[in-house]
Amino acid sequence: MKRLFEWLHARTGYRGGVHVMLDEPLPPGTGWFFTLGSVLLALLSIQLLTGAFLTLYYAATPDHAYDSVRFITSLRAGNIVRGLHHYGASFTVIALVAHMLRVIAFGSYKPPREVTWLSGLALLALILAFALTGYLLPWDQRAYWATVVTINISKLTPLAGEMVAGILRGGATIGALTLTRWYSAHVIFLPAALVLLIIGHLYLMRRHGISGPVRVRTGTPAPFYPSQAARDTTMVLLVVAVLVGYAWHGAPPLEGPADPTDAAYIPRPEWYFLGLFQLLKYFPGKWEVVGAMVVPGIAATFLAMLPWIDRGPERAPLKRRAITGAVAIGLASVIALTTLGWRDRPAAAASTDTWSLREIGGRTYAQKLNCVRCHSETGSADPLEGGPSTRGPEWIAGHVSDPEMIAPGMREPPVTIHEREAAAVAAYARRASRDRYPGYSKQIETIAPVWARYCVGCHKIEGDGGTDGPDLTHEGTKHDAATLRRWIEDPEQVDPDADMPSFGDRLTAEQLDAISAYLAARK
Amino acid sequence: MSHTIEPSSGGRRRTLVLFVNTIVAVIGGGLSAVLGAFALGPKANSSQARWSRAGTTSDLKPDEPVPRVLSVSRVDGWYRGRARETVFLVWDGEHTIRAMSATCTHLGCQVQWIAKEKKFKCPCHGGVYAADGSVLAGPPPRPLQSIEARIDPGDSSVLVRL
Repeated sequence: MKRLFEWLHARTGYRGGVHVMLDEPLPPGTGWFFTLGSVLLALLSIQLLTGAFLTLYYAATPDHAYDSVRFITSLRAGNIVRGLHHYGASFTVIALVAHMLRVIAFGSYKPPREVTWLSGLALLALILAFALTGYLLPWDQRAYWATVVTINISKLTPLAGEMVAGILRGGATIGALTLTRWYSAHVIFLPAALVLLIIGHLYLMRRHGISGPVRVRTGTPAPFYPSQAARDTTMVLLVVAVLVGYAWHGAPPLEGPADPTDAAYIPRPEWYFLGLFQLLKYFPGKWEVVGAMVVPGIAATFLAMLPWIDRGPERAPLKRRAITGAVAIGLASVIALTTLGWRDRPAAAASTDTWSLREIGGRTYAQKLNCVRCHSETGSADPLEGGPSTRGPEWIAGHVSDPEMIAPGMREPPVTIHEREAAAVAAYARRASRDRYPGYSKQIETIAPVWARYCVGCHKIEGDGGTDGPDLTHEGTKHDAATLRRWIEDPEQVDPDADMPSFGDRLTAEQLDAISAYLAARK
Repeated sequence: MSHTIEPSSGGRRRTLVLFVNTIVAVIGGGLSAVLGAFALGPKANSSQARWSRAGTTSDLKPDEPVPRVLSVSRVDGWYRGRARETVFLVWDGEHTIRAMSATCTHLGCQVQWIAKEKKFKCPCHGGVYAADGSVLAGPPPRPLQSIEARIDPGDSSVLVRL
């Protein structure tokens, strides 16, 4: 073995390389604070590796992206690889901020390290771009709507807003072209830039040596390996252990497939953008540009100019009170905004466990239409419940009205179906692809098809439905069941000026009783 | 904590080297194992066969192989496509049905049933099979692949497992 290495060294001189890599002389007093760069480097390596392996199975098209991510989680070690990549992104952002705060606290950006500092800021921007582009790729609701918001914010760019948004979008709408564009950015362009910048950053770090403790200590410099390397690897081990703890059960589950028609969805960004997200809420209307561009712009400029603002030779944080104070205030604001953004959760997010009336009604129509003739274990198509489906609502509605559209010669005679029934079946099919039907009371199952066929055209309950009539979410606070029943049966009998058509001849007595009782119970 | 460790202070240095190298090996090894397992791909049995309808016995003649083109959904990782597959159904006139793949076991051409000779013939390299699928002549290495099939007693429809 020893002779093999001797031979290899004689032919390649590799020991010189190892010497350059590991025997960097470090100033005395270099300690645990100087391990953060290595932690960041380790996390970025994990991101690059897990990301590269994830591309083995990922398909960057709107039709298949969601299914391919689901497939990844079904694979051996798929959950943990996706989990590592998902949580690794958050860990990277935290490690980066910690590293940056250490550099600011120790005044390490001071001459001659100004360019090292700037390259680090460029790395920060790159990593946030990674986070942003990667967020879209699973193509679920969260991904899609976060991107809608991002692209709309980019329109606030002064002078060139539409152009910037167009470049980010790729096409006229957010869709296939956006996805491929963000995918190439995420896996080709950004990693290439990242690797080059890291090499540059490390080269500069080696060229000037690390800054070392705030007050220069006497003593001989020690090589990086193994003393400081031991501190670095200890920190890396700790961080990786926590990361594995998070990733062990996989990334958070996907939400439903991206649905551009879902007006009820409330988008929320990943936590490290929550601060910015919250900031926007304080600048409504034409002042939005202040929250989206001006405040972050001032912060970025301040950071970039730090080596020229803080010019003195003093490095101790407590003797640079102005700088330390300004950064502490900035940090506190970011933390406060993020916390506020975190706590400001939309209430609607809680109701995702219960099926909407439209989805429950769609199930009734799916049974009436005998979808199971094909969609069953012995049928020619996949069962509706449990299987993945990324078909859009338009496609499903078209298929429900005319199944032959995709399966020639394999259908029952065509049935005429009302568009709202088709929409309900589509809603059911999308829901059933994610969740098992939990089972609802007879009352709910009686009114759901009625709601999905008639009421939903004009009325809303919990954000789903039309807007021509009043929102019925809390109808029980306004009317009792008897009044509601009379109203639904014949509105003009109660109010001669009513716009609502009468349903007395379209609904059975049982349906009328059930729906008025249901609405009266909604308080 | 001492910050002035001489590069070659014997035992301490050896311990540190061992420590660092072990951690690097543990993290690197763990990551390689996870990524390696991930890269191997899906477990072999992940595409499961399903019963598909292939008409009813009223479309068949006793003891005469009848080709049926079936559209089956094929799971290919995250992709779900439909494949058209030809199977021959052989009905005994009562309650038993056999099904065979029409794919020649030599190089995968589609065999044809020649009713006059009561043989399957492959148009590509002259493979010949008997009505039960066994090889009579030519290069095929194996009989035609038989496919699980049954008759649904309720409506006499034929189900094959593809």
